[in-house]
Amino acid sequence: MSTGLTRVWERLPLKKQAAQSGIRVFSQQQPEIEDEEEFRVLNLRTVKQQFQRRREVRRDPVTPPRTNRMAVDQDWTAAWPAPRSFHPASVPLPLRQGFTERGAAAPSKFANAELMKIPNFLHLTPPAIRQQCEAIKKFCSPWPKGLETEAKWQRHFPVEVITTDYLQSLPTIRNLEARRVTISLKLSDLKFDAHARDKFLRLVGDRYNKDTDTVTFVTDRCPLRKQNYDYAMYLLTACYHESFVTEPWEASKSEADMEVYLFERNQSKIAAEGILNWSAKEGDNKISPPPAYAQCVEQLINEGENEYNLAKYKEEVKKMLNV
Amino acid sequence: MFLSRHLRLLPRASIARSLGSSGAHYTTAASSNAAPAEEDSPFEIPNRIERTPTDILQALAGTVGRDHTAPHYKFHDDPFLIPMSNAAKRTYAMSKESGRKAAKWIKEEHRELFLHQEAQPAVEKFAPSMVYTENSEVDESSLQQLIAQSEVKDAVLVYNLLEQKGSPISADLKQSLLELVCFHNNQEPLPEEYIEERWFIQNNRRRDRHGKTWKDGDLAEKLYAEIEPKTPQAYASLIRGMAKYLQCERAYALLQEAGEKQIQLDTNTFNSIIEIVSYLKDTAEQRWQLCTELLQEMSQQKLRPNLGTLNAVLQCISTFGNFKLARSSALQVLPEFKQLGVNPSLGTYYYLLIIFCRERGPVSHVIVDILNDIAGKEFQIEHPKDTYFFATAMDVCRNHLNDKSLAKKVDELLHTGKNYDLVGDSFKESVYYRNYLALLCQTESIEDFMLTYDLLVPNIYIPEPGIMEEILRAIEINNAVEHVPRIWSDMVVFDHTHRESLLLSVLRIMVDNKPNAELPAQQQLPEQCAKVALDMYERVEEAMKRLRKVSFTGQMLGNILTLLVRGGNFEKASEVFAHIDKNQHRIPGTPAESALHEYVEASVQEKSPSQALAALQYAVENNMESSALAKLIHEGFTLNETHLAKLKTLVGESFLDK
Repeated sequence: MSTGLTRVWERLPLKKQAAQSGIRVFSQQQPEIEDEEEFRVLNLRTVKQQFQRRREVRRDPVTPPRTNRMAVDQDWTAAWPAPRSFHPASVPLPLRQGFTERGAAAPSKFANAELMKIPNFLHLTPPAIRQQCEAIKKFCSPWPKGLETEAKWQRHFPVEVITTDYLQSLPTIRNLEARRVTISLKLSDLKFDAHARDKFLRLVGDRYNKDTDTVTFVTDRCPLRKQNYDYAMYLLTACYHESFVTEPWEASKSEADMEVYLFERNQSKIAAEGILNWSAKEGDNKISPPPAYAQCVEQLINEGENEYNLAKYKEEVKKMLNV
Repeated sequence: MFLSRHLRLLPRASIARSLGSSGAHYTTAASSNAAPAEEDSPFEIPNRIERTPTDILQALAGTVGRDHTAPHYKFHDDPFLIPMSNAAKRTYAMSKESGRKAAKWIKEEHRELFLHQEAQPAVEKFAPSMVYTENSEVDESSLQQLIAQSEVKDAVLVYNLLEQKGSPISADLKQSLLELVCFHNNQEPLPEEYIEERWFIQNNRRRDRHGKTWKDGDLAEKLYAEIEPKTPQAYASLIRGMAKYLQCERAYALLQEAGEKQIQLDTNTFNSIIEIVSYLKDTAEQRWQLCTELLQEMSQQKLRPNLGTLNAVLQCISTFGNFKLARSSALQVLPEFKQLGVNPSLGTYYYLLIIFCRERGPVSHVIVDILNDIAGKEFQIEHPKDTYFFATAMDVCRNHLNDKSLAKKVDELLHTGKNYDLVGDSFKESVYYRNYLALLCQTESIEDFMLTYDLLVPNIYIPEPGIMEEILRAIEINNAVEHVPRIWSDMVVFDHTHRESLLLSVLRIMVDNKPNAELPAQQQLPEQCAKVALDMYERVEEAMKRLRKVSFTGQMLGNILTLLVRGGNFEKASEVFAHIDKNQHRIPGTPAESALHEYVEASVQEKSPSQALAALQYAVENNMESSALAKLIHEGFTLNETHLAKLKTLVGESFLDK
């Protein structure tokens, strides 16, 4: 009775008054169908049920859900400011979710575990996001002038450093993963000679991505982020400097060790020079094969024989020999 | 788990520095060759906007307003767990806190289970506290630590142990122990983390005006005696301790002694003596004289007065019985302190209010000037009495000036910035809202008042029965019967249904303001009123069984009867009438004649002559005007023999002959 009565005022003709006096209109409640079906008790042992008259405990009257008192133009961000599991008495939406027998409506929001299980984003309504963005705007400095395009800022800031912070509900605020530091840069931003570039690429190995032309160092062997960062920068510096050093044993690199075909140090150059200087006498200037020919031979051998390379080779040979 | 990924870009200059650091000839190619050709567009990175670690959180929290339909966030947001009376609010909050206490007790009781420290960085409060006994090994550093944690009991214990062992204690440490003991009067203070207890405790402990609680000849004085030669700090701490716990005579004597010995004391020590001037002298003139003497002494010692001095002087003035002297001396003090550059706090204004707005004194509008001065300002706590301002200001608005617009200004000030932190405790908050609501319901139109009522009740403030009576009176004056069902449901929830005066006025409002069925807003009212009446009837009946104080009166039952009849619930109405009829000897008074009249009219419509005759019989037996009823019955029904015979026996033959 009491709950029935405490709801009396909800049915007050507030709306009609509102029309006259401009009172805020309260949101309407969907009528709840309550079926008073009791659980049957499974009586395994057929003991005579002992009827004990329990003393009725006097309970304080329960108030109706507070959604009834919410105005339709209320500030929802104040009612639901932070993430929280769904509560039917606080959300003035006629939500239904769950499965029942065919044809029946899905269970209403009251005592509905389905609605409580799924994560909701009631705290992230567009107005809430707008308000929060507005509130933290004052901590943002403007974008630097002169760095408007990606090309510009990439030229001025060639190295990317990526670190990650973790926030977790554990007794400790530390997370081992946070020590990881990733630095990456475009190889084209470094100045190399051919030997240094070759050596650098050999040193970094698969840390170089050929498709994007980037070198990436991931360091996690030290316990602290600062140490890992320093170590990554050290690695970059050391590899770079080391790549310019020519060790004595590098001179003993034989043709079998070469990773690409080079015209300059190969038999075909000698052969071509032989042909070009067929009739030359001792002491005459030697004619060397033109660079276009050298290039197309290199291309033919390094890339393999295909129609284009072969045709090009034919043309260059003809040009060289003036046929 | 949340994670945030940071991308940092290193500028070319810094990478070049790193690569070129070893000074080898070839590395310069990396830095210098590339740069000059492309260094076309200069850029400038703006400075980082400085912020503290919590600034962003506070900015985000600033976007969240108050949801008036929700309870305070310390309670669970669930209809079953939202407290709906002042007692429930207190109980729920305190039970939550007692859970915390139980956890703390278990932590101390089973300390062996809590020795592990999983948290990083370690949370000291989660570890069991150190236990000091007669046999524990202690040294100066442990005493120092205990004083820093303000653990009075343990500090005293450790001090005694050190004394027994005869180990020396440095003068500084002794002084800080003296300060600790004086500040807390050698009693364990209420731990700081029990905020709910602090919020509710002031209700029953109002020791402001109680006598001395200083422990004479206790540890503080012993410590003081040990300090030789006497330092100004030792004097100051003992004097302040004595003044705080109202050992007034000795505190003043000590001050004089220090003066004779030419010991330089500090401002706050003088402030503490000025605060207790009213205990030292009896009449206003003597108090004022002593006060000025103390102030002169301060100026001789070249001490700069501060806010504490101002408030202490005003406190002294507020105890003057002589209104004129109080007024003039307050007006004298204020400009002088203004000249000294002391900014008043809310506590200062509190004292001004109690000096100027006295119950017996003339009406003073000082609060208008105060509000003009401080409107829109944000305050921080500076003086213990700052929290008294809002409750007192609202009290002045209601009882002294009865001014609605002023009250609204005070409320606006309370909700400016973080000023709500200064509302005090639960008691002061409820005094504040009691005065605010009572004032509004007397001065505002009922529609505007109900808007405020909707905002404040029940989550911020729950009206006491006295205020409920005021609200009902306002409704009665405005004939706003349409609000009664709402108010009644609140009364049920707040457990006001056992106050006879409240029940009577609810019924009176509903009976006297017969709803006009032609207005669309009032079409459902008779039905609702009948429901309220029926609910009230059932509640009172139940309450009588439970031996509560409330009981029916004839008047009350008559009103319920009328309302049920008007609501068209004749069945229940006849039940209520049967109750009246059966318990005639127990119910004091009789229902109004109009109630019986309406009942009989309804029974004519319902064609139930026996009920009508019962009503007539009741009227005859209780010596009420019965001829009108009889006429009504006679004309309304075509009575059969038995009924006719009964009618005759009740009102006599003569009636029918007419």
